[in-house]
Amino acid sequence: MDAELVLKLYRNMWVVRAFEQGLEREFKKGNVPGMLHTGLGQEAVQAAIANALRHSDAFFPDHRAHGLLVLAGTPGQKIMAELFGKATGVCSGKGGSLHSADPSVGNFGDNAVEGSMMVTALGVALAYKMQKRDDLAAVIIGDGTSGRGEWHESLNLAATWKLPVLYCCVNNGYAISTAVGASHATENLYEFACAYKMQAVQVDGNDVVEAARVTAEAVDWIRQGKGPFFIEYKTWRWQGIFSGEFRPEVEIRYWKEEHEPMKLARDYMLKHGIADEAALAQIKAEVEAEVEQWIAFALESPPPDLAKATANVYVGWEVAPR
Amino acid sequence: MKRMTFVQALNDALDLLMAADERVFLLGEDIGHMGGDFGVTRGLFAKYGGERVRDTPLSEAAIIGTSVGAAMVGMRPIPEIMFADFLGTCYDQIVNNAAKMHYMFDGQFKAPIVIRTAAGGGFGGGPHHSQSVEGWFMNVPGLVIVGPSTPYDAKGLLIASVENDNPVLFLEHKALYRVRGDVEEGYYSVPLRKAARLREGTDITIVASMKMTHEALAAAEELAVDGISVEVIDLRTLRPWDQQTVLEAVAKTGRAVVVNEAPKMGGLGADVSATIAEECFRQLKAPVQRVCGLDTPIPFSVPLEKVILPNKDDVKTAVRAALAD
Repeated sequence: MDAELVLKLYRNMWVVRAFEQGLEREFKKGNVPGMLHTGLGQEAVQAAIANALRHSDAFFPDHRAHGLLVLAGTPGQKIMAELFGKATGVCSGKGGSLHSADPSVGNFGDNAVEGSMMVTALGVALAYKMQKRDDLAAVIIGDGTSGRGEWHESLNLAATWKLPVLYCCVNNGYAISTAVGASHATENLYEFACAYKMQAVQVDGNDVVEAARVTAEAVDWIRQGKGPFFIEYKTWRWQGIFSGEFRPEVEIRYWKEEHEPMKLARDYMLKHGIADEAALAQIKAEVEAEVEQWIAFALESPPPDLAKATANVYVGWEVAPR
Repeated sequence: MKRMTFVQALNDALDLLMAADERVFLLGEDIGHMGGDFGVTRGLFAKYGGERVRDTPLSEAAIIGTSVGAAMVGMRPIPEIMFADFLGTCYDQIVNNAAKMHYMFDGQFKAPIVIRTAAGGGFGGGPHHSQSVEGWFMNVPGLVIVGPSTPYDAKGLLIASVENDNPVLFLEHKALYRVRGDVEEGYYSVPLRKAARLREGTDITIVASMKMTHEALAAAEELAVDGISVEVIDLRTLRPWDQQTVLEAVAKTGRAVVVNEAPKMGGLGADVSATIAEECFRQLKAPVQRVCGLDTPIPFSVPLEKVILPNKDDVKTAVRAALAD
């Protein structure tokens, strides 16, 4: 793969990593309200998806895609501020971590009801087709969504109507505490997509070079009008469950050390002479410093104007205050 | 003016909307060459083609979700859910997605969809084809609920709903589909959030909607023989409903009967009567009477169904009770 692209992907993976680490730190300090789902461990997937899309595409991010929202082009401080519930956030603090939309970069917002946006994405894709645009709708979903009815309604219709939908299934092994194989007929979720007669592949979601290559090819396929494409990224999330870690030691060691996404990317670049250790350390330091600026911005930002609480319930109609 | 049925008026509205605006398209189960279970979309598939009159599988969540997504990028979808009872299968898309979209993204997206659906009982449809579902949706900020009672309003309110930028749940009462009425030809709209005074009266105000306005009008006609002057208000938009018209009318007559086909507990009737009690307490000469469906599912057998659903005699009884106080 082109050296410039690998370097860009590596930097973008660090944006995801540093964003989430900073967010987690501030969450523990009590500065971030609500719940926390981080994308730690899934950096390669997010970098690969961001690389393949363009601003005129639509994407529906999942719960762990904060970093992707930034990679898509929204200034990092506006995403961070939204997660802090501040006026300067991308939705004025009304959406939060799970609803940080920014249509200017094609970010159509997450839906906290896992999988529900899979059918919403159908509509965007159908409209783009009717409007004769060659843009697509990407929907980023976790493994747990494959239990939802919307998953199956969406795959069936996208295939039947040959819609430009890119399914990015981030299979991190567990829906909260339940292993994929323990609650689904298969633990290889692309097999469901095969049954719906669409192009479907499984890739190593921790290998950014491979994930980026496959995602770009899928996007090309869709833009040629050939219908939907389903990618299952096999990966692993660092975050355990609310009560702590529950997964076996050997599994943790594999995903967090031996097959860790940053390590794989670093090994690739050193092997191919794309960068040396000093250059890579420099990238990490630059990104981390930038993320600290976003956190400072979020901390210093004012809370939302209280009039926002009753604003934009209806288009054009007011809702009476108490 | 032209005499036509409720179904023909809706069909006329859809035809005019599709001719006027390329962004308008229809999707739902058997709405294409079959023309819908009740014939509302008849002829439109032949005229506009399968791209804009789109048959779907039995995937209600996808019907609504597809509509929401298309609306987010500028289209004007009119999904049909064959029976209102099936809205449970796409409740999440309506409540958590369409209705909240504009708010949670602070105005960056809107979801102008109009969900047409056949509601109401009285024809032996049984527990899953007969319900009045407005109560399921009354507690959903961001959603508009419309329920016409005449062919004229059916056409004008459907056009107004599609012109509006908010998600609309458009309830078509099955018992009204074959009702005939005078309908203006050509494109016109009837304003949302504006109730209609169907009958002037001085003794008491009845507030109703959809089929129940017909029960109220029949009751008013019979009560007039006894010298009782009844005013009938048709809400037309059920959420947000026209408080001003209702409260002014009740303040004038001092007595109110609220009629709603759905079960009494927690429904539209509860909200209307509570608001009247809050806002008109000092003008009221008697407690507000509610005439609603019984607190049961709808049974299949017609004699049993008649026990459950309110009718003109129940309305008359309530009016007399209010006047006796």
